Amino acid sequence: MSLNEVPNVPVQSFLEVRDLRRDFGGVWAVDGASFEAQSGCITALIGPNGAGKSTVVDLIGGALRPTSGQVLMDGRDITALKPHERARLGLVRTYQMSSEFGRLTVLENLLVGVPDQRGERFRTLVIGKRYWREQEEAVLVKAFGLMDRFAMSEKRDEYAGNLSGGQKRLLEIMRSLMAEPKLLLLDEPMAGINPTLARVIEGYLSDLAKEGLTMLLIEHELDVVDRLCESVVFMAQGKVIATGKMEELLKNTGVLNAYLAG
Amino acid sequence: MSQSMVYYVTTILVYLGVDILACWSFNLQYGVAGILNFAFIMFQAVGAYTAAVLTLGPSSGNGGFQHYILGWTLPFPIPILVAGVVAAALAYVVGLIALRRLRADYQAMVMLVISVIATLVVTNELGLFNGPAGLALIPEPLSSLVSSGGYPWLYVGVTAAICVIVYLFVHRVTSSPLGRTLRATRDNQDAAQALGKDVVKLRLFIFVFSNAIAGISGALLVEFIGAWSPGSWLYVETFVILTAVIVGGTGNNAGVIMGALLVPIAFNEATRFIPPFGRPGLVDAMQWVVIGILAPIFLWFWPRGIIPERRRRFKVPAILLVGSDQSPTRPEMTTAEAKGEVD
Repeated sequence: MSLNEVPNVPVQSFLEVRDLRRDFGGVWAVDGASFEAQSGCITALIGPNGAGKSTVVDLIGGALRPTSGQVLMDGRDITALKPHERARLGLVRTYQMSSEFGRLTVLENLLVGVPDQRGERFRTLVIGKRYWREQEEAVLVKAFGLMDRFAMSEKRDEYAGNLSGGQKRLLEIMRSLMAEPKLLLLDEPMAGINPTLARVIEGYLSDLAKEGLTMLLIEHELDVVDRLCESVVFMAQGKVIATGKMEELLKNTGVLNAYLAG
Repeated sequence: MSQSMVYYVTTILVYLGVDILACWSFNLQYGVAGILNFAFIMFQAVGAYTAAVLTLGPSSGNGGFQHYILGWTLPFPIPILVAGVVAAALAYVVGLIALRRLRADYQAMVMLVISVIATLVVTNELGLFNGPAGLALIPEPLSSLVSSGGYPWLYVGVTAAICVIVYLFVHRVTSSPLGRTLRATRDNQDAAQALGKDVVKLRLFIFVFSNAIAGISGALLVEFIGAWSPGSWLYVETFVILTAVIVGGTGNNAGVIMGALLVPIAFNEATRFIPPFGRPGLVDAMQWVVIGILAPIFLWFWPRGIIPERRRRFKVPAILLVGSDQSPTRPEMTTAEAKGEVD
């Protein structure tokens, strides 16, 4: 696919990034990136270190404001929204560094994942537990279900800060799922964890994709990208160099050169 | 019990109640929400001044030796309640400045600066609260209800009742999903935001709510001791409350009661009995030094305090137990439990 062109498939596109730019003191970390992520698929965002991948995820998630450009989710322009407003629309992300709530237990981490709970509203101060008890029960059922699915039940009362690196990654994904995301941004979810657990996480991501969850994945392991992702966006020096399937990109000399030079 | 002993004991109990309220308030901000409010004592002082000028009557009274604003004579408990509202209003303004855009360390700096500025303004603006001399002869509320001998005990009862009422509200926050989400924002603000939490709104709310408690604690104190001046609320007083919360156990309502008992009460009282030595005032000065050292010592060796933050456990929802052989009992012991790290 040609450079920086937005594919003309608006019906299936769930996330659309249009000519996104972001500079840090005159240095363009993202320089006119445009791409799309199809609904119900895992789209990979790959590239050498410093390519601007994490900055793009920060811009999509709302942690950073773009200098110019647009982010559209499900056809809606979300560029001006704050991170928590994007999350309430179903755009949830994980971080490159583990971002567990360390002094909360595993179960509590999951319970926090549900946005806009009744018990978080200020009137809970006046009305008390009867205002939020019923919803809390439903949230608990959901959390126990997730712990069961991800084989983390035995860790439910463990402080999240005491978990291993891989378990923290898993917890982040579980916590994101509590929010029932429509789009999940995953920033290197398998970085720095042992290969066995990485394969387990890969299996979970594959299952989630089969269930129809749209994901944008930053990943350096090209084998993983090849197995998981239906489309790949390749970035270098803040620009989208190419998009397509992994096997196509591996034949692209521009991509190979950028990776080797990166 | 002799009259002087009654006075001593009741004074200690009222101070304990006031310090417990202050520590709960500070703990909601620092221990639960992760806001390091170095201007804390200012909110307590605002409550004290508000209650004073709503109780004192016109400044022309008592020979007109004091100059202050308002000068109303409102009945108990209105001055105490209004003190809470005024402290909350001030907290809202300070929160809008400090909590919206700044990182946590800069927030703490801004608070400290605001506290120092407030002391300077009140000290130098003589018509506000009588400048450096402060306010005195603040009437005792409810004193007409009992004999002078029984009054201190009545006030201990009032203080205890206010502590119970405040605790019910504090507990509602800390035991609800609101408290859980605040603790999540304390641990990782960005991650909480990415999960749909309006972190600024939540932190602003808890800042306003807890500083209302600080204002009430100041009002309760000033109505008992009958005087208040800038020397009562120098910024270093905040560090006494901070140390009490760290020593008692951040994030634990019972822990900070222990902290309030140990640091501002027991420690200060114990040093009264040390015979004077060295230069005059050396023992008093050493108190501040020791309190200053106590906080880092605890942060180094017992960072979770004497009564650490409670680990929240949840029962398996009943609906999941129906038709399964899953037991609602706890799962196998975790490593931390085996080490005895749980409470």
